[in-house]
Amino acid sequence: MTFLLDDLLLKPFVTVLDVLQTMAVEELYDVEAIRNDLKENQLLYELGERPESEYERRKAELEADLDTAEAAREQYANKQLEVRS
Amino acid sequence: MSSDHLYLYGVTDATDLRFETDAVAGAPEVRTVSHGPLSGIVSDIDTTDPERTDEDVERHDEVLRDVLTGDGDRTVVPMRYGMAFKSGRTLKNLLREARPVLRRSLREVEGTVELGVKVLADAEGEADREAVREAAGRFDDASERRDDDELFSDRLVVNRSYLVDRDDVPAFDDAVEAFRGAFGDDVVVQYSGPWAPYSFVDVHIGVDR
Repeated sequence: MTFLLDDLLLKPFVTVLDVLQTMAVEELYDVEAIRNDLKENQLLYELGERPESEYERRKAELEADLDTAEAAREQYANKQLEVRS
Repeated sequence: MSSDHLYLYGVTDATDLRFETDAVAGAPEVRTVSHGPLSGIVSDIDTTDPERTDEDVERHDEVLRDVLTGDGDRTVVPMRYGMAFKSGRTLKNLLREARPVLRRSLREVEGTVELGVKVLADAEGEADREAVREAAGRFDDASERRDDDELFSDRLVVNRSYLVDRDDVPAFDDAVEAFRGAFGDDVVVQYSGPWAPYSFVDVHIGVDR
């Protein structure tokens, strides 16, 4: 909620809908969470808790998710810039 | 490799090193380029923007570890993966311009190595997390400084880096063994190092490469 209020106070032309959209994008394409999953996958593999095949499969999956999330965020950011200009 | 571009691993006190190894981007040899009281640890490369691969990141660490643990127990200020220069001249410019901060950093970590400790709760999650964190405090006694790293997994209870004097490494090893003994199967411990002290030097290089 702090984020919502701060954003609206600092940028009076940003609507509640804009803020909710941003929050939705951040949740849907949570780059940090995917990076954490990648680190966890690596750690569990190094500790022998995750077999190599599963590690490789999960790694490929997460790297693809990361590419998608980063691209989506970039597109969203660009779109926001266009709207405000 | 025909290019005279140089990949930089880290900086150490002036020295003349040269050894064969499996270096970043397939280079067969690591050597030093010196300017004044400092030497850059380098290998040949054909780009100033090396691609980041797991293998090359590992080679970067291994080279630093070789220098750190090889003859003479050198002190190293490590660079993060990916720093490359057009020529020996541009690298020497860096060593000249950043000399004060590099020398200060070398003094700050002189005679030390970095060790890493990660403690995970077992898969069933039966570990007493507070007791684990408290017991991990014993590692502080055998180290100069500690850096708390991110707990990126729900199972991670402790993720810390320690700056340890070389003479105190055996005492640190003993502390880790005692910790393992105390918690048995309730936790999984990953003890790693020695590493170059990445977590304890903070040198940002912003010159034209």
